[in-house]
Amino acid sequence: MGEVLHLDIDAFFASVEQARDPRLKGRPVIVGNGVIASCSYEARRFGLKAGMSLVEARQRCPQAVILDGCQATYHAFAERVWAKLAELTPDLDVALDEAYGDLGGTERLHGDIASRARALQEEIAAVTGGVTVTIGIAPNRMLAKLVGKTVKPAGVLRLAAADADAFLIDRPARDVPGVGHVNGRRLEALNVHTVRDLRRLPLEALTALFGAIGALLHERARGRDTRVVSAREIPGSISRETAFHRPTADPVELDAMRHYLAERACRAARALGLKPRTIGLRLRYADGAFVEGQKTPPLPTALDPEVHAVTDALLARLFTRRVRLTHVGIVLSRFVALDAAQLDLLACAGDDRAHRLVEGVDAVRDRYGHASLVSGRSLPLLGQLAQDRNGFVLRTPSLTK
Amino acid sequence: MRVEKLDEPVRVRADFAGGQATPVVFRRGTQSLKIARVNARWEDRVGQKPLYYFACSVDSGDVYELCLNAHELTWRLTSVMLDG
Repeated sequence: MGEVLHLDIDAFFASVEQARDPRLKGRPVIVGNGVIASCSYEARRFGLKAGMSLVEARQRCPQAVILDGCQATYHAFAERVWAKLAELTPDLDVALDEAYGDLGGTERLHGDIASRARALQEEIAAVTGGVTVTIGIAPNRMLAKLVGKTVKPAGVLRLAAADADAFLIDRPARDVPGVGHVNGRRLEALNVHTVRDLRRLPLEALTALFGAIGALLHERARGRDTRVVSAREIPGSISRETAFHRPTADPVELDAMRHYLAERACRAARALGLKPRTIGLRLRYADGAFVEGQKTPPLPTALDPEVHAVTDALLARLFTRRVRLTHVGIVLSRFVALDAAQLDLLACAGDDRAHRLVEGVDAVRDRYGHASLVSGRSLPLLGQLAQDRNGFVLRTPSLTK
Repeated sequence: MRVEKLDEPVRVRADFAGGQATPVVFRRGTQSLKIARVNARWEDRVGQKPLYYFACSVDSGDVYELCLNAHELTWRLTSVMLDG
């Protein structure tokens, strides 16, 4: 049986800031603007966590150092980590701050893989100025991630296939990858707290309760995960959201930000070879009211103009109050593969031109950075927001991996 | 702790031993700042042009971020992190 390694960069953004400035080591560090994007383990001792507002964070931990952060720098540090990991195995699947590596066939090369993993931790700390990583090694992706969670931060743990069942059986059911927050709460309501409880539910019951994901949970509760490492995990959704620097009802600003976020979300979906069936829009008013809507067009699409048309309609439906907005977000979900969608018999030559246009735009942005091209409808953001090579610097960028 | 974003050309004396650049001292205005420690280094690129970044502590403890454009062989001071 093969083995999979899961590597997670501990408190990623905050660790990078501590590496850049040694005066921050041992101090509570927060990276974020408006909300916490990442916080150091010293900050977590005060109950701080990602997603918490900075107002609340300051109340809980007044001595915390708060930094805006820099996405381009974090990507550069992550690249250094992935380059080191690639020396262990070339078969990788990397995300923002975590990666999976297939160790199958490398046993004779590395000898004791746990020792090699500890050496890798030291090498990564050396090339990054002290950033720590946690490594879990197990017979499959799901178990590797779960094992790593038990030894954070800076730990290494290897789980043998023979011990997998004993490890898994008493773990919280909500920790099983694929359960998520919503399903986790539903399971709690059903008095299903551990994997042992989850196993008692037959496949039919899980399918009736959770739909397609029920079968997945049935498998994972038994420690089975047949995904290969190099296969891209299809996300449940891809969202791009931000708060405005100040509340706004300006249709030009709102339109520009919405189109910019939709472009980012569509590009992320295309990079994964996916197009969404469902397109959603989220708005938060200045008085705290939150509205969300979604629409399923006749055919799945990841083309910017088609997604814009859907969000135009959603905005008209959702933005009905004379109150300014503080937050806007685009959510793409229910994905299908780019090449697996049903063809539109009535599609015209213009669709092909639109595809070629986005392919060309993506190629330029892949090479020169997202900021190298700004679409016409996002032009009003130029001069209003700072830019780096990854695009506009948003107040509270929030993105799925 | 506060970070000041900068984009200033600076003169840097660097060591290129071992095939990698390591800044040693740089001049900001009339002030010559000796680098006590390179805390971290990373690479970014614009198109095919590599940019090498260095987070450097000087004797006062402040951390300066220097960027070497390897294509143009120019250095820029991109930020400084000050205590207080």
